[in-house]
Amino acid sequence: MTIVPPNIASRYLQRRVLLLSLIPLALLFAITVTLARTYHVREAGLVQEWYDKGNADLIAGRSGDAIEDFRNALSYDPENNLVQPRLAEALLADGRVTEARSYFLNLWDRAPGSGEVNLDLAHISIRTGDADQAIRYFRSAIYGSWDKDPAQQRRNARLELCKFLLQRGRVSDARAEVAGLAADTPADDADLLEKTGQLFSQVGETGRALSEYEDALRINPRQDQWLEDAGKAAVAVGDYTKAETYLARADRENPSDEIAGLRDTVRDVLDGDPFLPGLSDSEQAERSWRAFQQGNKRLGICTGARDAAQSSGETSPELQDLIKEALDLKVHVNLQTLGRQSELRNQAMQFVFQVEEINSPGCGTPDAADQALVLIAKRHSGSTP
Amino acid sequence: MTDSPAPIEEKQLPVPSAESVAVAAEAPGRKWAIPGSRSFTLSEGNLFLVLAVVIGLFSGMAVVCFRITIEWVRLSLLGSALAPSQMRVVLVPAGAGLVVAFLVQRFFRAARGSGVNQTKAAVYVFDGYVPFRTVIGKFVTCSLAIGSGQSLGPEDPSLQIGAGIASALGRRLKLSRDKLRLLAPVGAAAGLAAAFNAPISAVLFVIEEVIGTWSASALGAIVLAAVSSAVVMRSFLGSEPMFRVPAYTLAHPAELLAYAVLGVVGGVLSIAFTKIIVYFRPRLRALPEWTFYVQPAAAGLLIGLVGLKIPQAMGTGYPYIDQALHNQYTWEILAVLGFAKILTTSASFVSGTPGGMFAPVLFIGAMIGGAIGGLEHHFFPRLSASVGPFALVGMGTFFAGFLRVPITSVFMVVETTGNYSIVLPVMISNTIAYLISRKYQDVSLFDLLAAQDGLELPSMEEQREQVVLRVEDAMRKPESVSLQAGDTLARAIEIAETSPDGVLLVRFPTGRWASITKQDLRAKASERPKETLMRDLLSTDRLPVLHPDQRLDDVLRYVQGHEVLPVVSRAGSRKLEGVLSLPDILAAYQKPS
Repeated sequence: MTIVPPNIASRYLQRRVLLLSLIPLALLFAITVTLARTYHVREAGLVQEWYDKGNADLIAGRSGDAIEDFRNALSYDPENNLVQPRLAEALLADGRVTEARSYFLNLWDRAPGSGEVNLDLAHISIRTGDADQAIRYFRSAIYGSWDKDPAQQRRNARLELCKFLLQRGRVSDARAEVAGLAADTPADDADLLEKTGQLFSQVGETGRALSEYEDALRINPRQDQWLEDAGKAAVAVGDYTKAETYLARADRENPSDEIAGLRDTVRDVLDGDPFLPGLSDSEQAERSWRAFQQGNKRLGICTGARDAAQSSGETSPELQDLIKEALDLKVHVNLQTLGRQSELRNQAMQFVFQVEEINSPGCGTPDAADQALVLIAKRHSGSTP
Repeated sequence: MTDSPAPIEEKQLPVPSAESVAVAAEAPGRKWAIPGSRSFTLSEGNLFLVLAVVIGLFSGMAVVCFRITIEWVRLSLLGSALAPSQMRVVLVPAGAGLVVAFLVQRFFRAARGSGVNQTKAAVYVFDGYVPFRTVIGKFVTCSLAIGSGQSLGPEDPSLQIGAGIASALGRRLKLSRDKLRLLAPVGAAAGLAAAFNAPISAVLFVIEEVIGTWSASALGAIVLAAVSSAVVMRSFLGSEPMFRVPAYTLAHPAELLAYAVLGVVGGVLSIAFTKIIVYFRPRLRALPEWTFYVQPAAAGLLIGLVGLKIPQAMGTGYPYIDQALHNQYTWEILAVLGFAKILTTSASFVSGTPGGMFAPVLFIGAMIGGAIGGLEHHFFPRLSASVGPFALVGMGTFFAGFLRVPITSVFMVVETTGNYSIVLPVMISNTIAYLISRKYQDVSLFDLLAAQDGLELPSMEEQREQVVLRVEDAMRKPESVSLQAGDTLARAIEIAETSPDGVLLVRFPTGRWASITKQDLRAKASERPKETLMRDLLSTDRLPVLHPDQRLDDVLRYVQGHEVLPVVSRAGSRKLEGVLSLPDILAAYQKPS
């Protein structure tokens, strides 16, 4: 390439033109800045407009429209962190699970630690029937990062995981998660305390359930459902005094036959339990005697029904033993002997517990007194008054 | 030649090869300054680099304005939804087509078409001249056409806008013709870099498609312009890549087979698309001139009718490429979108509506790629990945096959997505598509378009593939031994008398070469003592030396003025491989290839 050396005049001209070109450059810069700013403002407005419309459509159940709205919003701001998950949620709500999953996976690729994305992927995995993957996403959501109120979001995710595990019958896994949830539940969140209590009940930890209900009731003592749950939990752990208190309060707040029936049973337990501490010998004898009579009545129903039901007219060896034992005890047991002999009281109650534990359709529905005796049996199995 | 001896300094002098002589000839090394000013001196080479940066700044801002204007037009005419209302879909492209046609026919005739072949024509036919009127015309008409939903893109027009700005600046600066010719590609790279947010691809495209050489002087300016333009664009419109893509990993090498199939399909379809355009364009151009006023409107109406069912086939289609990359379409829908876009883009382009082909090509590639991927995944789920990576590779594949820029296509995919992990499938698929397209479609689209316009532009592909003649193809063995610098005049006369050559080469211990004719030797012998050494006789003479691998085209300029030049080994300039003269070069060119 040959370069023609410029003469002095043309050099001067070149320099002048180059410097003068800064003027249109500055002018173009001003125009570009103005245009760009105006456009960005308009763009942001459009994103918000379509986002709001999408949310409204999604809430109204118009998921198809919501998808279009969110896509419109994303066409102006493809990386928008608010709109992207909402689009995926709209896809999910519209039943387009594959698309939603793909979308969320893309989001996950960019933010594998995002709590929101992991939780949404957990929901999708539940829908696609991949339980193990769902549990993994739930756990990632629990330990992931959240933009807003992370502690609350993590607790909600764990709550969902607990429910999911219980639905799948994975009680031992659920127990660990519920324990984690309880440890993480703030003392002033009555709703969550109540929910944690319910979960403890479902995983069989009724003692801890009762404790959670009581914590919840300290914040809101007149919540009838919580009172009922606490009462039932107290029944389950055998604390009938507490149970009676909670059920009575629940019945007062929101009277119902079910609560009243359960409270009556609890009262029967409290009134009929000869092993309650602080009872005099005569009171223990009185209660044992009533129980003995109720047991015999129950046995009579069972044998009578069985005799009628069985064409052979024969009873089971277990029942025969109980009949024989009843006949033996009837010889010795009365209110006086029971008042004097604690051993006989114990023997009579053991007999009653065995009768009440007979689980046969032929015995019919146990009445309230029988139910109370069953609870007493459960509470004191193996104990000596 | 001079008699003054200088044997001692000789050892410190470097041996000038022809290449270094060339560089020295080209490097200005001439400072220019305003008399009385010592603070501001700039060689013309450096001025050119400064100018490249200025061009980049101008082009970057112009392209930012261009892109924003297109968006404003779209928002104003079609609304902010991706799928506009039916009334607008039908009426807007057709109505805007009428206005665009009027503007083009009355005011901006040079604004028709893509802009790539026009820029190339500016370089090779019009000495780098791109009228500024064309820049304005391109800006206005393309904004209106693309913003109204015509199936065209803003990249090629941006390229021409950049070239036009550069050309205008060059003319104002009264640069030499050579520099003016070089300025158009510099501006083109700047415009394309800003439009694609991809400076590497822009540089490669301009080199692959427009100038065809890697000359250092051009490359520096092109790179500076592209980088400064991209920086400007990013500062105004953000630095995010054009497309967001999911992470990709090649699960198994067998996946590459699936991408090879995509390459074959992409190659075949790119030929078909080229043939559609090349077939219809001249036929529509041959219609009476009044039809030029309605052709864009007719194309707009067709696009609108297609858009009623398939709104994705309108405009640039970038948001839909993004959706395809994120697996949001089934393969059946992707295939429909790909073919619909071929139809709408063909209509827009052959009607003479101003606008570019890059964006539609990427769209078609993404859709067809995704469709092929989905289809393969359906039948061979273990062999192929999901739709997204295929859409991504498809973009590059169609780009390589249709625009015939294989290297650019690879970098374009990497740059516009910011994702390097996909590069292996892209390379395989792009290469296959390019080879198929090259095999069955001799001339590339832009060269065909230029030919239809009556311009015979040089084909960069042919230039790349042309057999290059080198020095080793023309040189011959010397028929006599060389003289040594330490030989006496008597010894030299003795050798010369037995030599058939008229000229004798003289080798110096430092590797320098000189020559002397028999006639001069005899004359010296009559003037000087017989014991005079050759080094004293030829103390300042210095011949350019050639190497066997140098291109004959390049060495032609050094042969002029010398009867014969030494061809020496690159391993040591004292080792003579052969000699070369102008008749040798001419003989080599006359040999049948």
